[in-house]
Amino acid sequence: MGHFHHVGMSMGMSSGDDNSTMAPSHHHPTSSASHSHDHMMMMMPMTFYFGFKKVELLFSGLVINTAGEMAGAFVAVFLLAMFYEGLKIAREGLLRKSQVSIRYNSMPVPGPNGTILMETHKTVGQQMLSFPHLLQTVLHIIQVVISYFLMLIFMTYNGYLCIAVAAGAGMGYFLFSWKKAVVVDITEHCH
Amino acid sequence: MAMHFIFSDEVVLLFDFWSVHSPAGMALSVLVVLLLAVLYEGIKVGKARLLHQALTSLSISTSQQLIEETDQHSSSSDSPQVSRTHLRWFLCHFGQSLLHVAQVVIGYFMMLAVMSYNTWIFFGVVLGSGVGYYLAYPLLSMT
Repeated sequence: MGHFHHVGMSMGMSSGDDNSTMAPSHHHPTSSASHSHDHMMMMMPMTFYFGFKKVELLFSGLVINTAGEMAGAFVAVFLLAMFYEGLKIAREGLLRKSQVSIRYNSMPVPGPNGTILMETHKTVGQQMLSFPHLLQTVLHIIQVVISYFLMLIFMTYNGYLCIAVAAGAGMGYFLFSWKKAVVVDITEHCH
Repeated sequence: MAMHFIFSDEVVLLFDFWSVHSPAGMALSVLVVLLLAVLYEGIKVGKARLLHQALTSLSISTSQQLIEETDQHSSSSDSPQVSRTHLRWFLCHFGQSLLHVAQVVIGYFMMLAVMSYNTWIFFGVVLGSGVGYYLAYPLLSMT
């Protein structure tokens, strides 16, 4: 959380000035909401805004200053959100494919008439050191990192970037889940 | 931005025009956030049900096509049926994608509301999630 504070403070009064050129009357609610830290309320924007000047994005060297850079950032964030949806669905598919190792344990149990019945237990799972499980773990780490990056991008409160996240998620879901639904339909006909 | 939960009647939530100054306004805001969380849980269940409905109707229609195809042995009569099924599936999937966009956006809005660090809003989000789950998830297994 200290790192967030540093990012917020380096954005500083410049984004406050930007907000004031866009919407001059909107500073009063934010400054009245704080009690003793008036000068710190404008550090990180707490409401949605549309702008492309001095927008810091995730890393300290990544600052957007022009409309062209904002367009590039829009496309990059869009593709990142699409990739995130695709990664989720790819992991589901990989998990389903790798769970073909089924172990049957048969145990004799006494039946009602003194006969002996065979009870079969089925366990579906992966071994810990198998390659599919390690691959799933690596993909899980990548998925967690990307989901946090998307959350931090949304936290910039920049309207263009937030729209890019939402649209990318929708487009990614549309493209990748289409294929997944067809696969589910074919392989699980006992629906 | 205060980095700890505070009880306060003043908060600015998400948009510039949504500024709260009074207990009545705070109660209303908590109610709105609660309903938003209920809607989020409902959308999750709605997406799953839509997918299930689409798959059952698609499998029924494809099996009907197979039955008619084996009966009539004609390939020219089922091409409009195939395209109609594809169109239905496309529309259903497009609707699901719109629901997914709504789910993503509402989820992020709830995260940003909790990020205001106002304890009343946080309670509203948590309570709304609980109420939404309680109301929506039985509908998941009702089909």
